[in-house]
Amino acid sequence: MKTELLAPAGNLEKAKIALFYGADAVYIGGKQFSLRARASNFDLSMIKELVDFAHGLKKNVYVTMNIVFHDDDILGLDEYLLELAKIKVDAIICSSMIVIERAKALTDLEIHLSTQFSVTNSVLADYFFTEGIKRVVLARELSLKEIEEIAKVCKPDLEVFVHGGMCVSYSGRCTLSNYTVLRDANRGGCAHTCRWLYDLYENDQKISNDFDYQMSSKDLEATEFVPELLKLNISSLKIEGRMKSIHYIATVVSAYRMLIDDYYNGAMRNLEFYQEEISKAENRQTSSGFFRGDTTIDQQLYNQRTEIPTKEFVGIVKRYDYNRKQVIIEQRNFFSVNDYLEIFTPNKTTYRFKVKKIFNEDLEELDAARHPLETIIIDLPIAVDKYSMIRRVKDE
Amino acid sequence: MKIVARLKTISEIEKLINLGVDVFLVDTPLAVKKIEDQVFSSLEAIKKTSKEIYLLANKMIHQEDLEELRKLLIIAKKHQINGIVVGDITAMIIAKELGIENKIIYQPGTMNTSSFDSEYFKEKSIKGITISKEITIEEIERFFTNKQIELSLIGHGYLDMFYSKRKLLTNYFIYKGIKRTLITDNYCFRLKEEIRDKSNYPIFEDYSGTHIFRDKALESFSEFKVLSKGIDVFFVERIFLTDEEYYEALAAYNNLEKAEAFLNKYGDNYNKGFYYQYTEKLKGDLNEN
Repeated sequence: MKTELLAPAGNLEKAKIALFYGADAVYIGGKQFSLRARASNFDLSMIKELVDFAHGLKKNVYVTMNIVFHDDDILGLDEYLLELAKIKVDAIICSSMIVIERAKALTDLEIHLSTQFSVTNSVLADYFFTEGIKRVVLARELSLKEIEEIAKVCKPDLEVFVHGGMCVSYSGRCTLSNYTVLRDANRGGCAHTCRWLYDLYENDQKISNDFDYQMSSKDLEATEFVPELLKLNISSLKIEGRMKSIHYIATVVSAYRMLIDDYYNGAMRNLEFYQEEISKAENRQTSSGFFRGDTTIDQQLYNQRTEIPTKEFVGIVKRYDYNRKQVIIEQRNFFSVNDYLEIFTPNKTTYRFKVKKIFNEDLEELDAARHPLETIIIDLPIAVDKYSMIRRVKDE
Repeated sequence: MKIVARLKTISEIEKLINLGVDVFLVDTPLAVKKIEDQVFSSLEAIKKTSKEIYLLANKMIHQEDLEELRKLLIIAKKHQINGIVVGDITAMIIAKELGIENKIIYQPGTMNTSSFDSEYFKEKSIKGITISKEITIEEIERFFTNKQIELSLIGHGYLDMFYSKRKLLTNYFIYKGIKRTLITDNYCFRLKEEIRDKSNYPIFEDYSGTHIFRDKALESFSEFKVLSKGIDVFFVERIFLTDEEYYEALAAYNNLEKAEAFLNKYGDNYNKGFYYQYTEKLKGDLNEN
């Protein structure tokens, strides 16, 4: 069976973008019971809309319920599970025993075990299979060799993270955020305390300089390991980032889609091609995580106070006017006349051009597109699809 | 409520018994230290008393650890260990194969947060679970009303709040180009955060990775009576405490009249953890794009 490409979606727009750009499935958070609480999660009507939309494309929707449940959180759990079953979501992703047991008792929902449980060996993966878990999301602390050893012997489907942010701690085992700012890391409130800046002392002797002790990890980028994972028949390759931008999702999903398809078609390009595509949206340094084994300084971020927001994404196509040969876009970042732009479409074609004229919705000519979310019109001789992304590129 | 103390040397067994200790917690190679010949011979010394022995094996179990874990559990069975404290339920699964799942105490640190967890693990016939460390006293008491299994709690000492497989100290020293010989198993490192500069978080690296601890130790003297209504086993943690402080803590739990004197002497280093602190679940919706 062909390995699935699974993408994150913080809202309906992101979900549709991910599916348009090549994801086989998306995972989303409900308003309740999901980590990534700030990822503008879905209510039940939105989940239904997305499920209907995805199923129309023969694609899947998984709903995360991966908070670590306290007694207070249990209220409404049964009703929520029943609703998800009624909506026909394709699976739930969870880590608490109570969710697993209630889902089994009340529904026929497919259950995936979240990486929050940090499954690191085949014995544990098989245990959960016998407990009714269809798929196990492996811990991000595993090397390719370990993944291979597990995949060769274990029974459940396996899902492996290939791209995006990584917890520095074993997932689900961290309470740094709880203790430092009273925000529960395992119930959607993580304050990313592991990414703060620290000084290191040995007894009273300060070792670091100007808070340069950092624990932050570089984001994961595993294009290099995808062919091996495909050979192992890993069921799903997962991209992290329910809070990432639509441009990021479109770009990263598209790159991994091409990589997977090229592998199956026996037409792999140089890895640099896929990595270059990803770099057009990636605003954090990346590394191979644990794929090569224990991490070194190459997997850590030092001297990084903030991530640098990418400004290259300038707009998204709302529609194309065939009569006027104009593209109507929603502005996302500043661009001006004489800039070079690249349109990047869901079917993976790109088109570069120089901006000659910019108009607003009232067809008044502008020298630049300055206002976020403003409707902007520019001349474009070729038709492009809705949801195509527009980036600024260097002069050619 | 049984008091569990971590054993450091054989010579202190009698002293700990006199301080009211009921159970001796012994580190294993899968916990934080390499095996010492002393470890298993010490068990014989304890068995001569009427006290119990728990083994601690709280490492996350990777594929390469499976065989070692099995060996450890076989040793535990052979020595008739009373309890095996584990952080990963892989140990429960292998223990079941060996017929000793009833010795397993599941102590993952964070996952046992709802009273349903005791119901679930009762079905698995294990010995007990340790209630997670980030919940309130009110939530702990709710476990008592639906108690299905032996309940334990780490009620005293420095509690860890972070466990990474990454060697975060070793890597930092490499990054800085500083040559150090004593990084692993060095208990003297502390982190001071940029904004909250009054906090000093102990950070400790061992062969299994890096651990960060709370800046204040937890004490439960005034909660001890309430806890004793449902908690069967009370762990007194030892890491970062001097022997003197550790013994005095045990003495104070054995005789709560000594608690005030203990707190007068050491109170600045202690707090109540999450007993009365509710953590915020969600930060609300932001329509981030």
